[in-house]
Amino acid sequence: MTNNNFRYRFKFTKTDEMKFIGHLDFMVSFQRACKRADIPIAYSNGFNPHQLLNFASPLSLGYTSIGDYGEFQLTKEIPAEEIKERLNAALPFGVRILDAAELKKEAEKVMTSLSAAAYEIEFEKSVTPDTIYEKLGSFISQNEIIVLKKTKHKIEDTNIKPDIINITDISDNTAKLKAVVYSGSVRNLKPESIAEAFMIYTGLEFFKNKNHYTRLDMYMTDENGKLVGLLDGVEKI
Amino acid sequence: MYRAIPDEILLECEKPARYVGNEVNIVKKDPSKTDIRFAFCFPDVYEVGMSHLGLQILYYFLNRRDDTYCERCFAPWTDMENKMREKHIPLFALESQEPLKKFDFVGFTLQYELCYTNVLNMLDLAGIPVYRKDRTEKDPIIICGGSCAYNPEPLADFVDIFYLGEGEVLYDEILDIYKSFKKDGHTKQEFLERLLDIDGLYMPQFYDVRYKQNGEVEAITPNNTKARRTITKVIVKDMDKAFFPEKQLVPFIEVVHDRVTLELFRGCIRGCRFCQAGFIYRPVREKKAETLLKQAESLVKSSGHEEISLTSLATSDYTCFEALADGLLEKFKGKEINLSLPSLRVDSFSLELMKRIQEVRKSSLTFAAEAGTQRLRDVINKNISEDDILNGCALAFEGGWLKVKMYFMLGLPTETDEDLYGISSLCDKIVEKFFEIPKENRPRPVTVNASASCFVPKPFTPFQWDAQDTYEDFGRKGQLVKNAISRKQVRFTYHNTMMSSLEGVMARGDRRVSAAVYKAWQLGCRYDGWSELFDFEKWKQAFEYCGLDMAFYANRKRSFDEVLPWDHISVGVSKRFLIEEREKASKAETTPNCRQICSQCGAKCFKGGVCYDKQ
Repeated sequence: MTNNNFRYRFKFTKTDEMKFIGHLDFMVSFQRACKRADIPIAYSNGFNPHQLLNFASPLSLGYTSIGDYGEFQLTKEIPAEEIKERLNAALPFGVRILDAAELKKEAEKVMTSLSAAAYEIEFEKSVTPDTIYEKLGSFISQNEIIVLKKTKHKIEDTNIKPDIINITDISDNTAKLKAVVYSGSVRNLKPESIAEAFMIYTGLEFFKNKNHYTRLDMYMTDENGKLVGLLDGVEKI
Repeated sequence: MYRAIPDEILLECEKPARYVGNEVNIVKKDPSKTDIRFAFCFPDVYEVGMSHLGLQILYYFLNRRDDTYCERCFAPWTDMENKMREKHIPLFALESQEPLKKFDFVGFTLQYELCYTNVLNMLDLAGIPVYRKDRTEKDPIIICGGSCAYNPEPLADFVDIFYLGEGEVLYDEILDIYKSFKKDGHTKQEFLERLLDIDGLYMPQFYDVRYKQNGEVEAITPNNTKARRTITKVIVKDMDKAFFPEKQLVPFIEVVHDRVTLELFRGCIRGCRFCQAGFIYRPVREKKAETLLKQAESLVKSSGHEEISLTSLATSDYTCFEALADGLLEKFKGKEINLSLPSLRVDSFSLELMKRIQEVRKSSLTFAAEAGTQRLRDVINKNISEDDILNGCALAFEGGWLKVKMYFMLGLPTETDEDLYGISSLCDKIVEKFFEIPKENRPRPVTVNASASCFVPKPFTPFQWDAQDTYEDFGRKGQLVKNAISRKQVRFTYHNTMMSSLEGVMARGDRRVSAAVYKAWQLGCRYDGWSELFDFEKWKQAFEYCGLDMAFYANRKRSFDEVLPWDHISVGVSKRFLIEEREKASKAETTPNCRQICSQCGAKCFKGGVCYDKQ
């Protein structure tokens, strides 16, 4: 990052109809919003210049989020509050910047910083709050939690327990879990795997798209090993 | 927000964003507070429809009225159609997600003959009876426009109104009348009869068709005293004063054309004899460069697109081209906006310009030669010579372009095998041209991508009387060219021959063809323009069932005095002119373009455009 650009990180939502937009299409839409907002975004050099814009981690199609993060470089310094306002006026319905801050040049990249994420799993009707109340404890205390994971080449049994940091029952009238899991390039778990494992554990049939998943927040690990929000923990100006 | 399709179904289907709306610059209104609901339907998949400029214009044009809410609807892809039928979800509009059946108007734009079964399918999915005779006062009014509406007969039994011409002209009047008729409690029938006062609208129910024993049309006659004998298209006279939206809908998923579209002019001065667009959109009417620069600025700002496309039927014919290109380059300097220039004639000027606008990335250059020999190019009045092409290629190779695209047609009138060998030898000559430049200036090998479409005679062209080749002929000719190409740098492909055959039937079909369209749709035909879904056997079956012969429509030569199924419609260009052009074609005589000399085609009747420019 040996340039004179100004770095910003922002926290945003992706809700409503935006959950049907896949990651790459979402990137393009976000870039267009930056153009409409006249944000002086910096471009890469090379044959196909592209905006210097990154997201912490793709959000799966069908998921919503109230705590996603991104980062971009600008050629001019603009107050973070103004960036937030201008982008919010240009972004499509369902995407809102919640917070933004200018970063120190040496701050770690958002994709590298990411270590964990919190999700809400809202179950379909076949899972009741009672099911969760009765079964969650024993589900978590299993030695191994096994799901079938599909990769490009094979399907194999995978123990997801080491990727789970904690799970809490947050049911109201509907059955809901909050799960904090490892996330990022080293270890990564999708909440649908937890939902699948739990439903199979309770003897129910699992349909991925009948449950609803929301990313609540994304975290980095601070020097004390504690999880902090990607905007809270980063070195700001 | 409410969604017509439950989330879990959306997520099971390919590209759910096709069905949820919410795009940037969408118009949101409270349907209960508008008098008129208009569903603008595009009978193809979302990505195709959203790339259509006419939709973008009419969407904002209709929505500029406070009393009207225009929403969009596209043909659902087959995966979604199956789910909708299974779950009994009626077809809906994207904006409000409400069923089409609730609308006052359901309008289709007809851009391609092979979308007709999709029109029927969409009506059926909406729960609207497909046949006009089966619809009641409760059903929406079905209105169709677009280039295929100029021969409306194959859809005549299904549609209430065909709108002939440019949408900006009549819609205000139509909607005003509708609103007052609705308020006064008039019937739909009364409304349609009232529209007989307006030229440019064709209501097929007020016309009867009689046939001769031999199957030809004997006469098309009005059955209502108010119905005019000939319906003439309507056009915008002054393009600078015409409505043009300051915004453009920006989709969330990649569509065919993701860019700002600037419309330089309508019509074409060239008069290539095979080209329907070259006749039905006459006369040429340009926008001023300053108008376009203003429109470019607001469209780029409101869309966030990074590409501007200059569109027209022949960009090089735009008289203010240099001023416009300079103006755009100046305006968007350093703003990461690309210019794309389709339909550009390749010469030293355009290459210089292309060098300026795309410093690094060199896309391919396209030449629409259309035919392989000068004789046949003269027959079709395609004003490009072999020297133009070879010199253009030489300039391009020197400028660093290494990819050349060539467009040809198979089965043009008067074509012989010699003309077909002309295609292969022209492609080979282009490769030879490449090897003429010094070896050190040839960093990479050249590729010539030649593709041939199968010629479809279209209404309102000088070839409207000609027999189309059969698909067997097309196949033989395609193979002949393929085998004759000797250079390995040339890749030759040709279009689906049976699809072209069906297009030929539909293009010149009469009202009886309606029944075959209906039958084919019942047999399961839809998305006929998509090779993976096209099923020619079903179409053959449908025609047979209806006692109709496809060859009668596609492969039969008509005499000049035969009554054509579209003879009651006028695009301004006279039949006399088309006959003269056909006779000149037989002698391989060319006709000068509209700016060189007026050939008295008849389009002067519209009192505007190039016909009144200083020659």
